[in-house]
Amino acid sequence: MSIVEVIDLQKSYLDPQTKNNFQAVDGVSFLLDEVQIFGILGPNGAGKTTTLEMIEGLTDIDGGSACVKGINVANNPFQVKEIIGVQLQSNEYFDSLSLEELLILFGKLYQNNIDAKDLLSKVDLSEKINAKPEELSGGQKQRFSIACALVNEPTVLFLDEPTTGLDPQAKHNLWQLIKELNNSGMTIILTTHNMEEAETLCHKVAIMDKGQIIIEGKPLDLIHDIETKSGKKENLETVFLSLTGRDLRD
Amino acid sequence: MFTSLQMHLAGVFLKIFLRNRQAILFSLFFPLIFIGAFSFSGGERDPFLIGVADQSKSSISSEFIQSLEAEDLFTVLEGDFADLESELLAGDLEGLILIPQNFVSLEELGALEFYVDASQTRQVGVIQKAIDSSLISIERKIRNTSPLFKIELKDVKARPQRYIDFLLPGLLAFMIMNLSIAGSGFNVVEYRRRGILKRLFVTPIRPRDFIVSIVLARMLIVLVQLSVVLSIALFALDIRLVGSYFSFYLAVILGTFIFLCIGFALGSLAKTQEGIRPIVGLVTFPQIILSGVFFPISSMPEYIQPIVYSLPLSSLASALRDIANDGASFFSLSYPTFGVLIWVLIAFFVATKFFVWKEVAK
Repeated sequence: MSIVEVIDLQKSYLDPQTKNNFQAVDGVSFLLDEVQIFGILGPNGAGKTTTLEMIEGLTDIDGGSACVKGINVANNPFQVKEIIGVQLQSNEYFDSLSLEELLILFGKLYQNNIDAKDLLSKVDLSEKINAKPEELSGGQKQRFSIACALVNEPTVLFLDEPTTGLDPQAKHNLWQLIKELNNSGMTIILTTHNMEEAETLCHKVAIMDKGQIIIEGKPLDLIHDIETKSGKKENLETVFLSLTGRDLRD
Repeated sequence: MFTSLQMHLAGVFLKIFLRNRQAILFSLFFPLIFIGAFSFSGGERDPFLIGVADQSKSSISSEFIQSLEAEDLFTVLEGDFADLESELLAGDLEGLILIPQNFVSLEELGALEFYVDASQTRQVGVIQKAIDSSLISIERKIRNTSPLFKIELKDVKARPQRYIDFLLPGLLAFMIMNLSIAGSGFNVVEYRRRGILKRLFVTPIRPRDFIVSIVLARMLIVLVQLSVVLSIALFALDIRLVGSYFSFYLAVILGTFIFLCIGFALGSLAKTQEGIRPIVGLVTFPQIILSGVFFPISSMPEYIQPIVYSLPLSSLASALRDIANDGASFFSLSYPTFGVLIWVLIAFFVATKFFVWKEVAK
């Protein structure tokens, strides 16, 4: 059984300005049948977050299907939510609750009595157990949001641009954490703009543009292909730019 | 009855409230404002300050002045017309009666002149009626006649009821409406704006768990706030609750439920705090005016009464008033308690209809 199976996903929105239908996701398919880190790359507005939100059950699926561990997201969203962990692009929490209280609360949402201390030590925040989220630095906030996504020991962890806005130290620290989680047997799907991140972390990437996956494969294979064509040393960023173009995106 | 998740979440919402000093301060301040309003509304009105310029100095005029002075409604200030007139213009007097020089003989009694600044004195009619009544009594005395008709007031309720007794249940209903709609509606909008609902939505929490836990927590907060106001009203303002506390609190709990549900529905419609304020105003403001909080619905034009009686605040205020003032039982299923029950169903339907988890979480 595949861990994640996405077939021909479709999503369109009514553009409030033009009053026309905007195809945000147009026939996205991919298959993850082994534990890995899968990166979805793409410029702004490519449809990465919408794709993720459809698999997470946050957004209705207009067409196609998404299954996690064989469970259809559209038919059994609550069952899927039981086995996935989600870190959103921006994470806000209830006021005046400590990290420990928030983790216990999130655990309760999954009917789990979790050991907050243990979970916080996993993300290197043990000493902040009584702190409030607003007292954390950017990197600490991201690590805490991952801790919240781990309360149910998920099979698949979704990370939406996890390192955006972090300094290099915090970024490398988070990459280390993501690798450790993957080594412990967790499949991770992440979206990112950061090519270095994708190259360092991902076993497989899909580059999206205009709602479609335009290429999918192992980062080194994609780089090798373009190096063969250009005859010089390239990186994932060159691959990305050669496929998506150099025009500015909103 | 409630799941452990619902109880835990309700506990979390209570904890959040108790740790918010501003919210606690406001929740105490709000009832105190009400109590202040109660104590002022309970007192009698000060007598009207009326100037009398007696230019006749006759026995009839002095009898008239004595008669006015005997009225509880007036405090009479005698003096020179010019001085009194300037006091009236300055707003220090509420009326001025000029007794003309020819106010002497019964056969040719000159007309009294009553000066008033109608823009300042809304009670002109009341004052004028009291003066007429004084004149009639004087006339009877002079003519040595007694009144043909007599009215004896019989209080069938056999207990005194002041305006404040009428006002308290309405004000409590008004308080329930405000606190409940703010407790659910404004919180939902804030949690939505900050993305907290979206964060919750990616977990397996069911919308009913979220709604039930907020209702439980806010219900407890409203009950405490309301009990503080009620206790002070009962002990400090000597208000008597004639009906049973059980019926009274049952109506309070159902009323709180109604407005919490309405708050959920309104909070689901608005995306920002700026957006929800006018929506809440649109729903609550007409009810404050129309729902018999400050004066009886029966005093309104007849054509509007059926609509007014059907408003949720009217049902709740009337039910509380029936229980508090008339000793009715909630289970007597009178019109207002029936109205409360109907609104419980409507509000629950509206809340669950509008509170679409996926949409609200976006």
